[in-house]
Amino acid sequence: MTAAALPSARTNAPGWTAAAMLSPATIVVTIGIVIPIVILFRYSLNQFTPAKVMVDAFTLENYVKFFTDPYYVAVLLRTIRVAAVCTAICIVLGFPMAYVLARTRSRFKNLLLLIVILPLFVGNAVRAAGWMVLFGNRGFVNAVLLWLGLIHEPLQIMYTEFAVVTGIVAVNLPFVVLTLQAVLEGIGRPLEEAALGLGAAPLRMFRHVLLPLAMPGVIAATILSFILAMNAYATPVLLGGPTFHMMGPTVYDQFMGLTNWPFGAALAFVLMTATLLLTVTSNWLAHRRYRR
Amino acid sequence: MNDYRLNISRRRWMKSAGALAGVAAMGGWAPAHAQSGGRIVLGTWGGDYSKLLAKNIDTPLMTPKKYEVVHDIGGDPERRAKMRAEARLPRGTDDLQGLSAAQMFEMNDAGLCLPIEYSKIPNAQYLLPQMRYPYGVGHIYSGKVILYNPKLITTPPTSFADSLDPKHGSKLGIIDIQYQFTMMAAALASGGSMTNYEPGKERLMACRKAGAKILPTNEAMAQALQNEEVGICIMWKARAVQWQKAGAKVETVAPKEGIPLYISGFVIPKNAPNKDGAHVWLNEMLVTSAQEAFAEDMGYNPSVGNATIPPATEKRIGFNADERKRLIDLDYAYLAKNDAAFKEWWDKTFKG
Repeated sequence: MTAAALPSARTNAPGWTAAAMLSPATIVVTIGIVIPIVILFRYSLNQFTPAKVMVDAFTLENYVKFFTDPYYVAVLLRTIRVAAVCTAICIVLGFPMAYVLARTRSRFKNLLLLIVILPLFVGNAVRAAGWMVLFGNRGFVNAVLLWLGLIHEPLQIMYTEFAVVTGIVAVNLPFVVLTLQAVLEGIGRPLEEAALGLGAAPLRMFRHVLLPLAMPGVIAATILSFILAMNAYATPVLLGGPTFHMMGPTVYDQFMGLTNWPFGAALAFVLMTATLLLTVTSNWLAHRRYRR
Repeated sequence: MNDYRLNISRRRWMKSAGALAGVAAMGGWAPAHAQSGGRIVLGTWGGDYSKLLAKNIDTPLMTPKKYEVVHDIGGDPERRAKMRAEARLPRGTDDLQGLSAAQMFEMNDAGLCLPIEYSKIPNAQYLLPQMRYPYGVGHIYSGKVILYNPKLITTPPTSFADSLDPKHGSKLGIIDIQYQFTMMAAALASGGSMTNYEPGKERLMACRKAGAKILPTNEAMAQALQNEEVGICIMWKARAVQWQKAGAKVETVAPKEGIPLYISGFVIPKNAPNKDGAHVWLNEMLVTSAQEAFAEDMGYNPSVGNATIPPATEKRIGFNADERKRLIDLDYAYLAKNDAAFKEWWDKTFKG
């Protein structure tokens, strides 16, 4: 009987261990994310009154307001555009960097990795402040351009989409590089050498061998960067200024500036849903394309 | 050989836990005993304002009365959100919240403020009438004036109409977070009033079309004035004084249409844990030494009539007899009712 029970006990043990390992995180996620999201969704169905902030109701008027107002739709589209551009730039810039990090046998490899991680030691707002010093009308970039005689009037760099994209790329790049580097480390160099040895040009080897094998990493890095860019707050506020609106700051404005919690909650839900839908769709398309 | 294994029986554990709870309770009681007045949590802006509250009120006036004053520092939007979020709790976090007069009105309108018991604030007898609200007490005030750099704006402006004028092009600066006062000033310049901001919208759109710069914060405006990117704007006189001290070459003019008041004060949330302590703090806030120190350090005018301001400071921060007649209070009910619509217009139409 004991002998018969043993296999069963062995089979169950990993299940219990997994449950025990998952429980703390599940509890934290449930309390810290799921419950607030449910509350937020409930708020988004309430009505706004200036004096009472919100009145209990079951109405879709906040969502209707969002989708029928060209201003808010434009803010969402701008956010998606900025997130897509930033993600594309991060992947293009990050892939070669991650490749070098993965393939290098230099004794300075750890130092190089540290240099990539170093920007993460500083908060987004502080980094944005650094960009402000560079991009200001009397900032470093304009000073250099003026000194070189390339321009005669300072360029307006601050409070533009260019400044915001630059700031977000700087924030997201380390995440992208680290994600890609971890995947590229796992792809054996002999596979590349075999392709090159069989006569494939480096670009062809990249397209047909390296990229398909690295695709899980590319997808993960894309998702990570896209989500971070969609929800960016400090960078658009500090570098985009008062006239460049993205969804994150707009949600904050509704909650804190106007105390319109129902509409703020609806905006937050639209942002979350748009991010989720775009991420899932792109993930599905990429998997379908590279499954073969 | 000793056995060092941790061997705790249930009975022993219960005893230990009881003893620990007792010690913790004693610990919790001990500081309260040491500070017989208790603890006051003060919601306030950070930076200089918080430092000066500590320097001029908390340390010299409240500590001798055995009160411990803790600052809950944050922007007013966050602190107002906190008041709303805590509204249903029997016991909130803060005993006082520092807000502008418009925000004090808004919080009271939402039913979140305790009526002030003026009998507990003897110094309130010296309060200027505009600084006395049933739901809050004014601490300091200033007025919205015109700032201009004589090097860039050669004809001195005399009115809001002169300053919010498309002729200034990109030399006119507008502060984004000051949308309410900017709309109000534009209204006063265009035949509007404190209860009708609509006439000012056309003027603002014309300025925007002419290239007026929109800067995100007061600090960004200070920098733009310093860099001479902006030559004219509207701002609190107190801030102008601070910026002049910092080296900005700007002059101030009290607009002839009227000088809108900016009042900063304190309310007591209905669920404040230490309501008596909050009243004591409000009383000390009105002590002349504290009020005079704020005028000197921050450039704001005292909210009490018995403070003595040195003539040089008075000249710098105050308003002369003629200007005092032009000080106008805001219609807070109109502002509260229309604020969401104003902000929406500002974001969607004006800033585009």
